[in-house]
Amino acid sequence: MTTLSKPMAPPSPLREFWSYFSANRGALIGLYYIIFLILLIIFADVISPYHPYEQYRQSFLMPPVWEAGGSWAHILGTDDVGRDMLSRLIHGARYSMLAGAMVVTLSLIIGIVLGVLAGFYRGTFEVVIMRIADVMLAVPSLLLAIAVVAVLGPSLLNAAMAIVVVSMPHYIRLARASTISEMSKDYVISSRVAGASSFRLMFVAVLPNCMAPLIVQATLGFSNAILDMAALGFVGLGAQPPIPEWGSMLADARQFVQSAWWVVTFPGVMILTTVLAFNLMGDGLRDALDPKLKQ
Amino acid sequence: MIAFILKRLGMVIPTFIGITLLTFSLIHMIPGDPITVMAGERGVSAERRAELEALLGLDKPLYEQYFVYISNIAQGDFGKSLITREPVLDEFLTLFPATMELSLFAALFAIGLGLPLGIIAAVRRGSIFDHTVMSISLAGYSMPIFWWGLLLIILFSVTLGWTPVSGRISALYWVDTVTGFMLIDAWMSTEQGAFTSAVQHLILPSIVLGTIPLAVVARMTRSSMLEVLGEDFIRTARAKGLSPLRVIMKHALRNALIPVVTVIGLQVGILLSGAILTETIFAWPGIGRWLLESIHRRDYQVVQGGILIVATMIILINLLVDVLYGVINPRIRHSN
Amino acid sequence: MSLLDVKNLSVHFGTGDHPFKAVDQISLTVEAGEVVGIVGESGSGKSVSSLAVMGLIDFPGKVTADALAFEGQELQTLSENDRRKITGKDIAMIFQEPMSSLNPCFTVGDQIMEAIEVHQGGSRKERKAKALALLKQVGIPAPESRMSAYPHQLSGGMSQRVMIAMAIACDPKLLIADEPTTALDVTIQAQIIDLLLDLQRQKNMGLILITHDLALVAEAADRVVVMYAGQVVETGRVDELFRTPMHPYTQALLNSMPESAIGHKRLRALGGVVPGANDRPTGCLLSPRCEYATDRCRTEAPIPSGPIERQVRCFFPLSASGSTAA
Repeated sequence: MTTLSKPMAPPSPLREFWSYFSANRGALIGLYYIIFLILLIIFADVISPYHPYEQYRQSFLMPPVWEAGGSWAHILGTDDVGRDMLSRLIHGARYSMLAGAMVVTLSLIIGIVLGVLAGFYRGTFEVVIMRIADVMLAVPSLLLAIAVVAVLGPSLLNAAMAIVVVSMPHYIRLARASTISEMSKDYVISSRVAGASSFRLMFVAVLPNCMAPLIVQATLGFSNAILDMAALGFVGLGAQPPIPEWGSMLADARQFVQSAWWVVTFPGVMILTTVLAFNLMGDGLRDALDPKLKQ
Repeated sequence: MIAFILKRLGMVIPTFIGITLLTFSLIHMIPGDPITVMAGERGVSAERRAELEALLGLDKPLYEQYFVYISNIAQGDFGKSLITREPVLDEFLTLFPATMELSLFAALFAIGLGLPLGIIAAVRRGSIFDHTVMSISLAGYSMPIFWWGLLLIILFSVTLGWTPVSGRISALYWVDTVTGFMLIDAWMSTEQGAFTSAVQHLILPSIVLGTIPLAVVARMTRSSMLEVLGEDFIRTARAKGLSPLRVIMKHALRNALIPVVTVIGLQVGILLSGAILTETIFAWPGIGRWLLESIHRRDYQVVQGGILIVATMIILINLLVDVLYGVINPRIRHSN
Repeated sequence: MSLLDVKNLSVHFGTGDHPFKAVDQISLTVEAGEVVGIVGESGSGKSVSSLAVMGLIDFPGKVTADALAFEGQELQTLSENDRRKITGKDIAMIFQEPMSSLNPCFTVGDQIMEAIEVHQGGSRKERKAKALALLKQVGIPAPESRMSAYPHQLSGGMSQRVMIAMAIACDPKLLIADEPTTALDVTIQAQIIDLLLDLQRQKNMGLILITHDLALVAEAADRVVVMYAGQVVETGRVDELFRTPMHPYTQALLNSMPESAIGHKRLRALGGVVPGANDRPTGCLLSPRCEYATDRCRTEAPIPSGPIERQVRCFFPLSASGSTAA
């Protein structure tokens, strides 16, 4: 009656993680696209057909190659001062990705430090930090970012700073909540009893256990950073021309809605696909790191 | 219940004070002295400078300035626009109904579509419908909202000609501003077709603004429903022999909505951020566009006052959501 | 005709090469007015089998059975609607965690009245009166005020009484109680069991009592079914089974009770653990842990044998003297 086969051995944690992650096709697609973008960033100068700032006076607003009036010289067409769209899009990847990386890294580090300290020491320190976080969260993120850039002056760097300010409270909250919940666990109490120093407790014992939700949040935070950077660029408060940041490329695009759809469409497509890739990967990470949630 | 509300209100006050500190310091954080900054490229004559200094009390020490600032606010004086000389609060109140109308319909779109989609996706977990809803929702909140608006304009206004490109109502109609809500005002006006025009103008901006909240609500509803459907009391309900429809719509939904309500409340901030961009694209005369233009024009009084009013509004709405949460969830009501 | 007749019921989870057999070909019967105890450790499949009887197993679980008949009517061929008419009315179930088994958003009264509404109908007044009577019947003090209470305002014992009230609201012929007292305090446990047995006697209900508590089974049940790792290993009348257990696992269970360790230095626990999804042994599932296991046990899987009222799944069932008949 029983046709029992050989008993199976349970898989190792890393293999288990990869098997969950790779089973998620969306997450894989996201990962591959991000790798593609990284390659694009590294080899932008080699791959792009022209220099992104170079203006070709004979070819204002040339449509993409598949439309009437287009040519293979400018596959995706040109913008209103004759710059090649494809080259600008390729170089634009640098600004979005690098700004996003910087924003996430900074806000993650500051957020973690403040959050873990707040969750560890509690008391007045915690209350002050959380109140500041609440204040920052009470203002709509774009509005706050715009206000910060208004103070600092419009530029790509200042826009990135503004987004760091705006994203920080989320990480502070997350880090603090994780820290507090870990603090009550038995392994922390036993470490304390054994005489571990505060620093060691916080950053060696507790933090690694909070990393999973933080990693997921950071990946999703990357996509938010890219969107916010693009939004600031769109309203003219981010990267200034001629920098080919994808959002700034859309800043004056409204006037071309009826005449040159390619100027409006392509930069947005790049933003969408990049953000999508990060979100897919973030979802995949979340599902893989905590499979209980999925099932 | 009253104690609950008062307690929540008490927690709000320090945050409010924090915001006033934030907006107050805004002008003082700009490099250079405030008056030169505000004057911008225009430059400022000596009399105007003296005038502004007295007006803004910039000669007094900082904490005194702050005190004046706070007492002004307590009396409802949020400053005057440097460009139009009108009180900031008045300008806000004039323009706010436009944003509110837009946000309201965006929210209706998001909730009206998001809730059912999320529920069905959860009930039919793993089906094609579920995957479709999840993919659309993912695309929804990965989208840069300003680009989405432009895209829809290209598609529906330019190519298909179904909807107008900008504004709240066709310029052909003159509608008296009674409530500030174009739909109501157009309905009440005597002009034929004004109401239809108002509706047509509202459709695309609402959809654009509501896209991200739609995606979030659908996702949140689905995951909340899935979690609730795995709870013990759902098993009990089924063991009682209740029909699946009843189990879902009565037993599961009540519980699943609890976190969704909180999320909807949080969407208000997102709606306002999105309004800034949506109003810019559709030339919609609301506070989003007003704030953005003020920043470009360096009208810092408006920026300062506007941010404070908006932030206060959001805090109060969050408070309302908290109270609502207490109403729906008996456990919170009865604790402490 | 038995009240409940289950033949070769299996519940599989998952697909592919290794579907997990939570319940593996179990058979049992319950007569009207009889108390049947199902005993086993965690992971023995006792809860899953009763959920399968109730029709509460969802995808990815799959239920198969040669027969699953209630009062002679085959449940597997009923339409969903028809099956729901029986669920909660003629067959009812109460669960282990009463605190989380009641919907936190509705009052106790509402939830009881709902059970009545779905199967019996009646005006709101009538249902309210019935609910009140039920609360009294299950021994809840001050029932009028309790009607408008929310589940989180009740203690564990109270919640379980409410669950019982809900379950018996439509006078079921069979009540399944899945570890009804495991999550409760010891003093409350006795009260709830007494309540259940009283109700059972009054209404002449069939009662399936699922538990890992042998003392409870000895006290309350007429017949016992012993389960291990998804299979039935022994069945019989309670006095026979306890006095002369035939399966080594049953003997081990009896030995592990603290009472049987009187006079010994250590508790006589059975070494090893219940096999999980990844480590099903070949042959008899108990063979890794059984002190009497032979090579035959380790390679060949035994099937239930013996008269229908006294089955045992073992090649070498224990004789009356307690040793294996080799």
